[in-house]
Amino acid sequence: MGPGRRPISLFVDQASFQGSVHGFLECVQCHVDAAEIPHPDVLKKVQCQTCHEAAVSGAHALLGGKGPACSSCHGSHAISPPPKVESVICKKCHALVVEEYGKSVHGMALVKGNGDVALCLNCHGSVHELKKVRDPGSPVYPLNLPRTCGICHGDPELARRHGIAVTNAYQLYMDSIHGRALARSGLLVAANCSSCHGFHGIRPKDDPASKVNRMNVPSTCGTCHAGILVVYAESVHGKAVRNGDAAPVCIDCHSAHQIRRVEGAPWQLQAIRECGTCHEESLKTYRDTFHGKVTALGFTRVAKCSDCHTAHAIFPSSDPRAAVSPAKIVATCQQCHPQATAAFAEFHPHADYHNKERFPKLYYTYLFMTALLVGTMSLFGLHTVLWFPRSLLERIRRRRARAGEELEP
Amino acid sequence: MSGSERYYFRFNLYHRILHGMVIFSFLGLALTGLPLKYAETGWGRWLSHVLGGPFTTGYLHRFFAVITFLYFGLHLGYVARLVLKGQRGIFWGPDSMVPQPRDFVQLAQHVRYFLGLGPRPRFGRWAYWEKFDYWAVFWGVSIIGASGLLLWFPAFFARFLPGWIFNVAIIIHSDEALLAVAFIFTVHFFNTHLRPEKFPMDPVIFTGRVEEEEFQREHPAEYERLRVEGRLEAHRADPPPLWLRNFARVVGFSALAIGIILIGLIIGTALG
Repeated sequence: MGPGRRPISLFVDQASFQGSVHGFLECVQCHVDAAEIPHPDVLKKVQCQTCHEAAVSGAHALLGGKGPACSSCHGSHAISPPPKVESVICKKCHALVVEEYGKSVHGMALVKGNGDVALCLNCHGSVHELKKVRDPGSPVYPLNLPRTCGICHGDPELARRHGIAVTNAYQLYMDSIHGRALARSGLLVAANCSSCHGFHGIRPKDDPASKVNRMNVPSTCGTCHAGILVVYAESVHGKAVRNGDAAPVCIDCHSAHQIRRVEGAPWQLQAIRECGTCHEESLKTYRDTFHGKVTALGFTRVAKCSDCHTAHAIFPSSDPRAAVSPAKIVATCQQCHPQATAAFAEFHPHADYHNKERFPKLYYTYLFMTALLVGTMSLFGLHTVLWFPRSLLERIRRRRARAGEELEP
Repeated sequence: MSGSERYYFRFNLYHRILHGMVIFSFLGLALTGLPLKYAETGWGRWLSHVLGGPFTTGYLHRFFAVITFLYFGLHLGYVARLVLKGQRGIFWGPDSMVPQPRDFVQLAQHVRYFLGLGPRPRFGRWAYWEKFDYWAVFWGVSIIGASGLLLWFPAFFARFLPGWIFNVAIIIHSDEALLAVAFIFTVHFFNTHLRPEKFPMDPVIFTGRVEEEEFQREHPAEYERLRVEGRLEAHRADPPPLWLRNFARVVGFSALAIGIILIGLIIGTALG
């Protein structure tokens, strides 16, 4: 024993050894160089591989002597099957990670005795062939991660059992623009599960520290979509969210898992309805216009909310940065109507003809037209109702007269 | 029809062709316009998609609008020709469509007749409700046509009109069209085709010929006038040939069916 090294106890508890899975072995079957007594002062390390051939490969093995020995996990003399909760073992080296895991949604569920919860090896794979995250063979390699998370988060039955709101996150994700970029185009830069949710410290979305908490969604998405984040953060929505007011964050329009290409008609039409969940009045008046009717019919080749208001740089019309501000409105109309003039842009795309104060011309036009409709139809309706019985009598009288004629020729 | 009846011309070929254009374009405008107005109803969506979507119905709508402007112009030309021929009677008198004191008197008499308080008025060539139909088309085409043109060429009209005029145009075009559709498919249909004396249809607008007994009953003053003036024989017509009667049935019943279905859908939407 050299200077500065801790003393090691050489005591072996006979009873616990014999109770272990190796209890049937003789000491010298492992400590082969101790066969002769007295044995050498320094015994060689026990070679588990003698019996457990090729048991260990992968990242831990590559660490060589610096890595965990078999005994680090399995013990030495009191060999037993490894404990079910491997974090107890892993934390010997990965203390910070395990601590983070302990605070995560998975770690908390584990404490509550959830038997289905993901443990270290459920994600990282078989312990003896453990791969580094950057190794394409690792189950947590970015291109493999969704499939790994999907083992649980693509199982609606499991989701229902544990009250997980999104029962088919994996399926939705794989069909999303991110999932396709990852699975079809093989892009490492495509957002995978951990890009948004984190990895060891995954928090539920109602936790303010969660990366997917409403307040944190913009910055989480902004990790990749940095340019959009800058624009959004300045917009009326971005500011409102920061002030704690109800306003949309990225996922309200783009959804969380099923994020689509924005060019697609179904998404574009859904986005209109999404804006309308808060801007009810604007959606109603939009539906009175040609633009709103065409999109209601399922066609997108007309102005939708974002065509005039932009998608992310949304400001009140009083703000000169707004695409619908007096300074920019004509240019905005000209995107589709190249001949648009200032007078053209006076068309009000959200006019409410029920509102007498704001739109008196429209209100009185509507009033007049309605009076004309109701008046004309009422007068002639009455005329018709009065005429009908007389006309019926006339017909009956005429038929009788004709029958009478035929009787007396 | 026993073949012994005598027939008289009520509508000449020009009248009938123009009314055919009215039917064709009006039904076309209704079928291509209503799906847009009722874009948020199931039937509106269905009809729009069946007809090729809002852009296709948009082109068709403009096509039918052109037919409308065409018959409007043809009719004005017809009136102008009569004026040039010196037929001042089109502006006043028994041949005129212009409302006259007699029409208001007959309206009152007709209502008394409805209530069983008097005899049926003796209508002339044009009964007051027929004149109303005529002027309704005049008014409707002007109002719907003008607002439609505004919406067809917004960039052009915005050169000299303020932009809010398009908001007004949308309301007028849509509501006046609804009035036109509601009126034609209920009141006009009832007055001319569906009322028990005429039920199920009066083919005179297609055949142009009215049978003598019906002529005397529906337009007694006109029959009497022609007889007294000795012009009755000049209006004598051959009985409508079978092909024409069949043509009248096919076109008439088709138009009635389309109109009744459309007004049924509109009323259903309004109630439901």
